[in-house]
Amino acid sequence: MRTPADLTPVARDVMKLPAGPGLIIGSLLAAYLFNALPWSGWLLLARPDLVMIVMLFWVIHQPGSVGQGLAFFLGLAMDVNDSMLLGQHALAYVLVAYGAQVIRVRILSFPLGEQTLHVAGLAIGASLMILLLNLLLGADFPGAAILLSPVIAAMLWAPISGILYLPGLRRMRRESAS
Amino acid sequence: MIHDPPPFFHRGPSPLARLTFFSLVAIAIMIADHRFGALEALRLSLSVLVHPLQQAAAAPAAMLGRLSDYFTSQDRLLKENQELKTKLLEYAADAQKAQLLATEQKHLADMSPGRSRYATDGVLAEMLSYGRNPFTRKLVLDKGLSQGVQSGMPVIDADGVVGQVTAVGTFTSEATLLTEKDQAVPVMLTRNGLRAIAVGSGKDGSIDVPFMPVSADIQNGDLFVTSGIDGTYPPGLVVARVTAVEKNAAYVFAKITAKPAAGVDNHRFVRILTAKRPELPPPPSSGDDKRPVREKAPGRARPRP
Repeated sequence: MRTPADLTPVARDVMKLPAGPGLIIGSLLAAYLFNALPWSGWLLLARPDLVMIVMLFWVIHQPGSVGQGLAFFLGLAMDVNDSMLLGQHALAYVLVAYGAQVIRVRILSFPLGEQTLHVAGLAIGASLMILLLNLLLGADFPGAAILLSPVIAAMLWAPISGILYLPGLRRMRRESAS
Repeated sequence: MIHDPPPFFHRGPSPLARLTFFSLVAIAIMIADHRFGALEALRLSLSVLVHPLQQAAAAPAAMLGRLSDYFTSQDRLLKENQELKTKLLEYAADAQKAQLLATEQKHLADMSPGRSRYATDGVLAEMLSYGRNPFTRKLVLDKGLSQGVQSGMPVIDADGVVGQVTAVGTFTSEATLLTEKDQAVPVMLTRNGLRAIAVGSGKDGSIDVPFMPVSADIQNGDLFVTSGIDGTYPPGLVVARVTAVEKNAAYVFAKITAKPAAGVDNHRFVRILTAKRPELPPPPSSGDDKRPVREKAPGRARPRP
């Protein structure tokens, strides 16, 4: 029986089993719902972009099924959701997905703590890009809380990884039991 | 052909090639959306796709709101009722006067072809949420294309202009607030008929009135109403009250700040004025400016004072 403390080494084994499309689509939908909650004020500024984190998880753990194409369309959906100029989230997500594809093997060789740092780098890059684009288009700096958003998003990497590992973990237990 | 990988290693274009492709498409979409406003159809179809999701996400908060409405104390309702009655009486005299004026105006309008210049038709819309764009504050309203709402229509509340519809979905629309940066409204001073352009400042909910000469007759407390010369806002809607006039002889223009009359930040119900505006004659073509006027949101193209 494994304790939750050694989740990480298990997790690396778990993800050798491919996750079903149901889990991938379901998790992305759930993340989108989270992003579509009626945020406002500084909470909106600090809102962690869960869609990006979940997308990153699948790009890293299942590069065969989730790639830049899906990232692009998720980005368009986020632009519509946030009623922003079409294409800016798409560009940011595609860049992040590419970054994740490049450092994927490296990320997977680390435990969750170090993974968080890598993800933080990607998330900060995406936020900065969207911020700069909007400043270029003539918007005012919306407030310092916007700098919190990628940091919170990165901190959610470990819990979200844990949750998304669970179905595979259960399946592996079932298979080893039979 | 010899250098091609065997089929079981074949993984399509390289990540870098994909990145280049998708980035270019994203940038093209941004340019098309920003410069030409050409992607309304794409946005609309995407918004139809994600509408059920947004609805689902908004449901818990809406339910909470309804619940708190239900448990509103008797006391508050009574007080609110009393206030509304007082307001009704205050407006009664104005309303009767307006009726007389409307009759007069109808007589005049009957003599000349064309539609009424004044705001008549409208739909009541409930505010669903603030838009989730952190860079511009918008209101999401529960009326859309299917209720006849179109981009560019003015949005008002009981006290004055709130803003303008800037994006429409099938069942929802988004209104940009009057106080947002670069949101311009042509206005007129009620005291002396002086015409100006009120432009949202984008910060602390105030409105600037730029390009007024230092000698302009504007005082603290003056009331701005829409002048109606843009063909977007009907004339006579209350816009803002002047809160500060700073005249410095060193500058060509006075610095005038106004506060919107409408409760720009605190309302749940607003009215979208859906009346079709009369066709305007085409603007005179000047030599240097041959670009067609953007149809998307007429008030946003900053007119020249």
